[in-house]
Amino acid sequence: MDLECDVLVIGAGMAGLVAGTISSNEGVSTILLRKGQSATAYSSGAIDVMGYLPDASEPFSTPSEGLTAVAAMLPLHPYSIVGYSESVQPDTVVDEIVGSARAAISWLKNSLRDTIAPLIGSFDSNISALTVFGTTKPTCLVQETMNSESLQDEDSTLLFAGFAGYPDFNPSAAAKVFLEDRIAIGLPPRKVGRCVLKLAPFGKLYNLSSIEIARHLDHGNSIEELAKQLKPQADKLGATHVAIPPILGIRNALENKKLLEELTGVEVFELLGVPPSVPGLRLQMALEGLFRKGGGRLLAGHEAISYTKNGELLDAVMVRTPRRRMKIKSKATILATGKFIGGGLAGDENGIRETVFDLMTVTGTYHSAGDITPSRFTNRVSITPSSQPVYSCGLTVDPHFRPVQEDGVEWSSNLFAAGSILAGYDYSSEKSGLGVATTTGYIAIRKAMDFLKGVDLK
Amino acid sequence: MSDSEFDVVVIGGGSTGTAVARDCAMRGLRTLLLERDDIASATVGTCAGMISSGLKYRNEPDIMELCSEEVVHFNHIARHIMMKIPILAPLLDLSDAASDSGYIDAYSEHAEEREVPAMMFLTPEATLEIEPMVHPDVIASVYYEEFFIDPFRLSLLQALDAINHGAKVHTYCEVIGFEKTGGEIQGVVFYNRITGTTETVRTKLVVNATGPWAHKLARMNDSKLDLRLNKGTHVILDRRVVNVGITARALDGRWVYLFPHENTTLLGTTALDTWEDPDRLVASFDEIEYLLQSIEAVIPSIRESRIIRTMAGIRPLVPDWKVSEDKVTRGYQIVDHENGMISFTGGKLVMCRHMAQDVTDLVCKKLGVKAICKTHEKPLPGNEDDVDVESLSVEYGISLHTLERMRARRGTDIVKILELTKEHPEWKTTICTCEPVIEAEIRYAIREEFPQTLNDLRRRLRLGTGPCQGTSCTYKAAAILSEELDLEGDDFLVDILDFKAERWKGIRPSMRGEQLAQEELAQGIYTCVGNLDQSDVDYDLKPWEEGA
Ligand SMILES: Cc1cc2nc3c(=O)[nH]c(=O)nc-3n(C[C@H](O)[C@H](O)[C@H](O)COP(=O)(O)OP(=O)(O)OC[C@H]3O[C@@H](n4cnc5c(N)ncnc54)[C@H](O)[C@@H]3O)c2cc1C
Ligand SMILES: Cc1cc2nc3c(=O)[nH]c(=O)nc-3n(C[C@H](O)[C@H](O)[C@H](O)COP(=O)(O)OP(=O)(O)OC[C@H]3O[C@@H](n4cnc5c(N)ncnc54)[C@H](O)[C@@H]3O)c2cc1C
Repeated sequence: MDLECDVLVIGAGMAGLVAGTISSNEGVSTILLRKGQSATAYSSGAIDVMGYLPDASEPFSTPSEGLTAVAAMLPLHPYSIVGYSESVQPDTVVDEIVGSARAAISWLKNSLRDTIAPLIGSFDSNISALTVFGTTKPTCLVQETMNSESLQDEDSTLLFAGFAGYPDFNPSAAAKVFLEDRIAIGLPPRKVGRCVLKLAPFGKLYNLSSIEIARHLDHGNSIEELAKQLKPQADKLGATHVAIPPILGIRNALENKKLLEELTGVEVFELLGVPPSVPGLRLQMALEGLFRKGGGRLLAGHEAISYTKNGELLDAVMVRTPRRRMKIKSKATILATGKFIGGGLAGDENGIRETVFDLMTVTGTYHSAGDITPSRFTNRVSITPSSQPVYSCGLTVDPHFRPVQEDGVEWSSNLFAAGSILAGYDYSSEKSGLGVATTTGYIAIRKAMDFLKGVDLK
Repeated sequence: MSDSEFDVVVIGGGSTGTAVARDCAMRGLRTLLLERDDIASATVGTCAGMISSGLKYRNEPDIMELCSEEVVHFNHIARHIMMKIPILAPLLDLSDAASDSGYIDAYSEHAEEREVPAMMFLTPEATLEIEPMVHPDVIASVYYEEFFIDPFRLSLLQALDAINHGAKVHTYCEVIGFEKTGGEIQGVVFYNRITGTTETVRTKLVVNATGPWAHKLARMNDSKLDLRLNKGTHVILDRRVVNVGITARALDGRWVYLFPHENTTLLGTTALDTWEDPDRLVASFDEIEYLLQSIEAVIPSIRESRIIRTMAGIRPLVPDWKVSEDKVTRGYQIVDHENGMISFTGGKLVMCRHMAQDVTDLVCKKLGVKAICKTHEKPLPGNEDDVDVESLSVEYGISLHTLERMRARRGTDIVKILELTKEHPEWKTTICTCEPVIEAEIRYAIREEFPQTLNDLRRRLRLGTGPCQGTSCTYKAAAILSEELDLEGDDFLVDILDFKAERWKGIRPSMRGEQLAQEELAQGIYTCVGNLDQSDVDYDLKPWEEGA
């Protein structure tokens, strides 16, 4: 069976989902392919836009400040690409770059409003969000279940609550880290406590995973039971706030949060956590819902493996599942296959490859990455604001987000790329991952739709 | 026993030093072991763990004899941490065969005592049946069996046994000088890295078991010691790439090997004369490529396996110069500086007990103590009995695989850990899924095996040594350590950073394939979410992280 569509999106992480959602909701027939795992589902589910410049030690207080700095200082950054369009006047380049990211982020926030992953925050301030390690990180939008804004009040008291048999979060370590940090910078709250609750979802006493706990909390009167244990602990400490790992539910997280707050009389919020990530899953599922609502078709378990070209146009993509193979013809294609986790890039001792079209790969400084030894593009120090340069490798694109070849010419006029497959930035040290994926997905699909409308993308 | 007066101070907590401390303590000497870092934190932790029959050293019949005897002893005292592994040496070419066949007799002479069959030749069909990964053009292979031990557990058990016999063992205590009168050592001065203080103890004798640092300790004592330092590197592959061990001639005619090792496979090793600081040592690109190309000739698909990491160590060889490394004796020398210090050069893991026996004989003689060696008779902790993991698995409701791995580390002591889960069923939670390791074993090790850091826990438990290299267990285990030791928040973060740094040292040189995605995930967790790259804790750069 072969398929046809106007837009084919390869990769259903953040970048691909944003692109596909926009086109399908504008009535363009869209197919979205997903091979398997995506970094998006692993993410903490908070939308970073720009936290730090490479090597910087102070975070930006607002994403727009960050984007302004990127526009001025990092010309090879994916955020900067829109500035290269011929239609952009030199004196408006910065505005264009900041404006396009702002538009993409507010689109995302609006779109997710009535889903299982509603967001709060704005492009005009970075949130200092609390993590399961007890540390904080700058991010732009957090899911509403993670809202800890009122913790800034002078008289707040915070209780960290964990679960017995759930090793992904240890309230005592997190509480210590958090308190030491607060004391050092003189910020509230000054009083912090911790407790361990017993949940036993589905009768299990150990090896609990976040997904299991979240499923459990989505059902029956499990929130009431949780509240019964939590309230005395919160009362004992005189807590105004309770921080819990991100497990409040998959489908009903926000309702669960509200009910728990009602029953305990304290504000409850989720910490930013690590995989397996419930908020990452919520984000991914919410976008999938929007995509489907617009009439898009998601083919999970489908891997793009090769292609046919007709002259300089990409004509069709060959797709494989464990059971069958097929051809998908499309008028425009978005490549949003991610980095190494997603599988868009692969590397061995001889170099870094793009996995579907064998496109040219470059390093963060736009030198060829096709024949680099990955270990030489790493830093001696593992966890460092200087980042691991190998993670800045990826594709280089023209101002319309079309991958280009060695000669600087686009590989095809109807293939566009978005998300972490792009070169020129390291999302981990910048804290920019989902922001770049959203923004580039948002722009790339507009370019693709322009192309479909016959706009000249020169 | 006084805390500041000893008969003997043993310096170095590797396989050699812990064996010496055990022997001295068992003979009733007031013994102190000082280790600058953790038990088994240096050379011994980078070795293949082979308790070899001595096959490679058959030009030295007395060494071969010694090795063979030690195999028998280890099978007696440390059976619970020993593993027998069949090995094939596939021949692709007649020139691969050794020119004489004397090694067959030499190997087989004591085979029965070692509980292995005599060496034999296999046909190509039989070879490929045992190991289908071998090159199809194989013309024959040699089959034999060797023993392996967990070098971390061996060193730790020796240290614990020394403690059981009254010795004091201080880790994180670096010897920085000696107090001498009339040229004779009277005391040992060391810096305690935990308390940040300098301390002195009085002692009659010092045994310098510092492996590749031995010449430095001798110099500290105004004595001269010559060593031939020789770098060896391993590449560690995920899972058991081969069913059996493989040995083959390398590109330059030396022998290299592929050994199944715990849940991984070891590819080794190189041998390069080195003058590098052991603390800065990392595997080089050339070494990795040399090993891969060398083994590729007999296992053509080797590059399809996932490379997890590398590790490099320095052999402290006897100073034979002007011969190639493989001609240097694998025996050891005991050097009496005749000023209160006795040093080792050379030796192997397999010989550590024997080296200890020899040096302790000398120590006793010098001190006028009459006591005989019993280290080959008395079992190490946990080797008291067989363990029926199947019934334990049913009784405690923990998977058989988890218990098998735990048994391989602890023998009969496994029951003490399982008992903890009666009161704390939540401690059955798997913290390191690669290995696997459950929370109860981590808590037990923290309480009973004196770890100070997360890296120390790794050595005791193999925590974080699988394909994910601690990506998902580091913060979980660090939190448990912090809880048990009541550490500060900063210490918790430093432990995570230190552990990551140590893993990264090995991952980085061979970074490719799946490890690129694995490290992206690790960066996502610790840098992107944890924001630990921006943490202002006091993190000291490691020696291998310094410089350009
Ligand atoms: C542990 C972790 C935590 C993170 N936390 C945050 C955070 O808190 N905030 C933040 O902003 N960022 C975070 N990030 C970064 C962020 O997740 C990524 O930058 C972002 O998700 C990248 O999105 P993407 O769509 O480009 O790629 P991915 O999400 O990786 O999606 C790629 C998609 O392509 C598919 N694919 C690949 N090849 C093929 C093929 N041949 N055929 C079909 N499909 C294919 C994959 O299956 C996948 O669905 C985190 C990352 C990690 C690893
Ligand atoms: C790649 C490789 C593979 C090998 N494979 C095998 C094998 O399969 N079988 C085998 O039998 N042998 C093998 N060996 C050899 C074997 O590992 C070593 O001979 C043996 O482990 C050395 O142990 P050690 O205790 O003498 O040294 P180490 O393990 O290096 O211990 C010395 C200790 O002294 C400490 N120290 C140093 N200075 C001070 C100080 N000032 N104060 C306090 N402490 C100090 C160090 O921290 C260190 O822990 C191999 C070696 C290498 C490198």
